[in-house]
Amino acid sequence: MELFTPEFGLVFWMFVAFVCLYCILAKWAWPFIIKSMEERADLIDKGVAYAQEAKSHLDNAKAEADKLVAKARNQQADILREASKMRNELIEKARGEAADEAKKVAEAAQVSLEQSRKEAEKQLRAEVGDLALQIAEKVIRRNIAGDDAQKALVDQYLSEVETKN
Amino acid sequence: MKSKIITAIVALVIVALIGLGYYSSAQHRAEGHTTELNPKETIFEHLGDAYGWEVPFNHSARIPLPIIVWGQDGLHCFMSNRITGGETYDGFKISTSEEHHGKVVQVLDDGTEVRPWDFSITKNVAGLIIAAVLVALMVMSLKRWYARNGMKAPRGGKGALELVVDFVYSDTIRPILGKHSLKYAPYLLTAFFFILTMNLLGLIVIFPGGANLTGNIAVTLVLAVLTFLITTFSGTKEYWKEIFWPEVPMALKCPVPMMQIIETLGMFTKPLALMIRLFANMMSGHKVVLVLVLLIFIFTNLFGVGVGIGTSIFSVAFTLFMLLLDVLVSFIQAYVFTILSTIFISMALVEPHEHEAK
Repeated sequence: MELFTPEFGLVFWMFVAFVCLYCILAKWAWPFIIKSMEERADLIDKGVAYAQEAKSHLDNAKAEADKLVAKARNQQADILREASKMRNELIEKARGEAADEAKKVAEAAQVSLEQSRKEAEKQLRAEVGDLALQIAEKVIRRNIAGDDAQKALVDQYLSEVETKN
Repeated sequence: MKSKIITAIVALVIVALIGLGYYSSAQHRAEGHTTELNPKETIFEHLGDAYGWEVPFNHSARIPLPIIVWGQDGLHCFMSNRITGGETYDGFKISTSEEHHGKVVQVLDDGTEVRPWDFSITKNVAGLIIAAVLVALMVMSLKRWYARNGMKAPRGGKGALELVVDFVYSDTIRPILGKHSLKYAPYLLTAFFFILTMNLLGLIVIFPGGANLTGNIAVTLVLAVLTFLITTFSGTKEYWKEIFWPEVPMALKCPVPMMQIIETLGMFTKPLALMIRLFANMMSGHKVVLVLVLLIFIFTNLFGVGVGIGTSIFSVAFTLFMLLLDVLVSFIQAYVFTILSTIFISMALVEPHEHEAK
């Protein structure tokens, strides 16, 4: 039957047409198209990988930033605590020093007071002694053998008077 | 609004076509032509080749195509309209004899008809050339897109084309052929797009379609032979060893070379199956459509116009369904041819088995 017997002319032209088409496309089209398509596929794959990486980086960055903030907060609290401790210490120390100084001043004042009192006492005693002697001299109007013995006696009397006071 | 205008235009075109068809058939009858219906001849005329391309609504006019024949006295070239009316030109005519029916023959002096070497650009050859040019234009346009736009993805028709290229190459050729894919991809892709274009062109009824290309055994023969040649010439040592000294019990291959005979036959049956599958699928699709359309005329002749009109409703519905199915089949058959060729090539590229090394 005609349908099942290949016609020579058609076989010939089919061969020619196919080979020509193949040569043209194999030389100028297919390798270029395939290369371009694969390049684009690679580019898209790389883009996706890059985006994923970037996202994970971003997530990490956020966690890291949170960690940093927390750390900074801790540090801040530490510093504040330390500062307040130092301030308290300083105040305490200043207070102690001030107290010491005041004590010293008071003590010095007391010492000088005591000294001046003693001096005054001594002076008073001397003057009173002299006065008493003059009085006694005037009263008795006589020479007493030993001046020194008289003075000691007066001194003794004065001490007695003083203890009485 | 836009869709209404389109609908109106389509309706107008359909009405105009019906009118034109009616007019031309009336004219045809008025010219005194007999309208004897011969379904078998009509079917084979449409499935087969012709020296001229039909134009719609005209039974006799043909687009003339060049006839190139190498006869007893050398090369002859002339246009087909010189002989399609039954005339003899330069000693050549279209035979009406049983042996060379419908073919160009050279009439010798003693009246015998001899078939010359026929290189005519027949309807099918013209269809082939149109398909090849179409494929070349499509693929080159995609290539130009890449050359101009680099990494940008193509849009529209080129995008669809790229999708198909990607489907065939990335999902079929590369997984099967692996590192060899770049070497064989041009052949396989060219075959795929050529077959697909020929299949789809065959479904378009009027010029530049309508040539039953892939439903012609000559076309599928060339394709199958090309696959066979590529398979055979890229066969590895292991491939030939598996044919002539396969790993089977000695009794199967030594005194009587049974396996060798089977394997050698297998070399030829694989491309033969490729040839027959594509041919039979596409031809039968065309045949069913032709038969469905002819049913209208057969029933009209047998039972009158009323039954004919009733038949036409069913026929047109089924024809539409068949044509849509054929669009699917066109793609599937082109794909099947490509994937089977790929598998045959990959079988020829076989490497020695791993288990021997273990």
